Amino acid sequence: MSGFSMTTGQIRFATLWRREVNRFMKIKKQTLGGPLLETFLYITVFGAALGSRIKQLHGIEYILFVIPGLIMMALATNAFTNNSSSILQQKFQGAIQDQLSSPASPAELLLALSLGGFVRGLMVATITFVVSVVLVGLPVDHVLVLIPALFLVGFFFSQLGVLIGVRAEQFDDVAFAQTFILQPLIFLGGVFYSASLLPQPWETLTRFNPIFYMISLVRYGFVGYSEISIPLALAALAFATAVLFAINLRLFSSGYKLRA
Amino acid sequence: MSVPALNIVDLVKTYPTGVEALRGVSLEIPNGELFGLLGPNGAGKSTLIHCTTGLAQPSSGTIEIFGHDAIGDYAEARQAVGLAPQEPNLDWFLTVEETLDYHAGYFGMPKRERRERTTELLETFSLAEKRDERTRTLSGGMKRRLILARAVMHRPRLLILDEPTAGVDVELRLELWHYVQKINEEGTTILLTTHYLEEAEQLCSRIAFITGGEIVAEGSSQSVAESFGASSLEDAYLALVGRKELSRSHIGVEEEVEV
Repeated sequence: MSGFSMTTGQIRFATLWRREVNRFMKIKKQTLGGPLLETFLYITVFGAALGSRIKQLHGIEYILFVIPGLIMMALATNAFTNNSSSILQQKFQGAIQDQLSSPASPAELLLALSLGGFVRGLMVATITFVVSVVLVGLPVDHVLVLIPALFLVGFFFSQLGVLIGVRAEQFDDVAFAQTFILQPLIFLGGVFYSASLLPQPWETLTRFNPIFYMISLVRYGFVGYSEISIPLALAALAFATAVLFAINLRLFSSGYKLRA
Repeated sequence: MSVPALNIVDLVKTYPTGVEALRGVSLEIPNGELFGLLGPNGAGKSTLIHCTTGLAQPSSGTIEIFGHDAIGDYAEARQAVGLAPQEPNLDWFLTVEETLDYHAGYFGMPKRERRERTTELLETFSLAEKRDERTRTLSGGMKRRLILARAVMHRPRLLILDEPTAGVDVELRLELWHYVQKINEEGTTILLTTHYLEEAEQLCSRIAFITGGEIVAEGSSQSVAESFGASSLEDAYLALVGRKELSRSHIGVEEEVEV
């Protein structure tokens, strides 16, 4: 590879990011194998078993209706869990001091820590997608919506994972956010059903759940069905992601809970 | 006159809990010196080190490392510093080799140089056989070696050693000091904190006493001892902490005591 040499900044960022990816690759049974098994169990139970009864939702085969939601869920939870766990573990061990006392800027640190979970989420989502294409012929109807939607969902939950990881003081804090906030919002956001089929007030309440819009965007990208305004939802998601990134960058710049 | 390795002026650090860890510390360490910062537990030594390395944020005052402001010009400042912290802070997920390789990567060292430097340091610190072991499986002494190897991995011009020999056996202690002396002779400036006063006396060209977040004496170990009206650094230290009655001259004990 003569002629190509990285700058010190590029080497630094690549190393910070490599550490994050290396961490989850070393325990891939837990970080990739587990989530994949979980996703395929959902597909089996809800798609195959329940699908034999429900057949179609809004003219779409039930299993194809469910899989986009599961892909979005896998992307979101893996991006979130990876980053919150990685940061909290490093805080506990004190190992994060090695990065904090390096010349890395707050933005470099934040991006590298974010991208670990982002890559893990994308890996699980991509494997689920490929298997779904092969086994049940999952279509991609609107690739120009799907790609930005998946990118934004992944980045949003990566940022959320970083935020919770930095704030957390014990593993219970991370588990609480995941089990009592994130998971219910995802489940109630319409992964397994269509909000329009819900009785009131549940249908209206669902529209206050931000994750409903994320699932809708991803579902629209795959199978072309939507109950919302796609441009508005994409813009809102982009805005929310930018706000979350700005909050995190501010926290990293101020050293919040990282530098005494 | 050359730029000092470390120049601290009026450094104050008050933690959010209200604890005033540093109350206006000023300290200048010339390039190439081996300097000892001594004081009881809780005196502010680690806080001073953390402020210097970016792990804590000063409340006021300035820190310059080879002329680079530790806040405003942090990248240049941190590039010049290597830190071996008091508490082992190794990443359990990494192997010994990865620990060194990643550290050097954080400091922008190219791959080939990282590989060569890692091999060199693994040999120097007798860690070559452990290169593929995860850090959590290492013994206490091995962890200490690795922490020092990591601190010097990116060839810092200022090496900060925060009690590097706490809890290690005699031969490793001597091994580490030989290494520290060697790289000091080669030009690395060293800031050392230790509770082994006789070692500080032997190794350091100058020392400072810090207590209650303030530097109360600074100079050669002899001049510091004299400023307390004592004949040894240990007696000066005991005067500092108000425990003169523990002086060995009172009990006739001659061997080294860890304080």
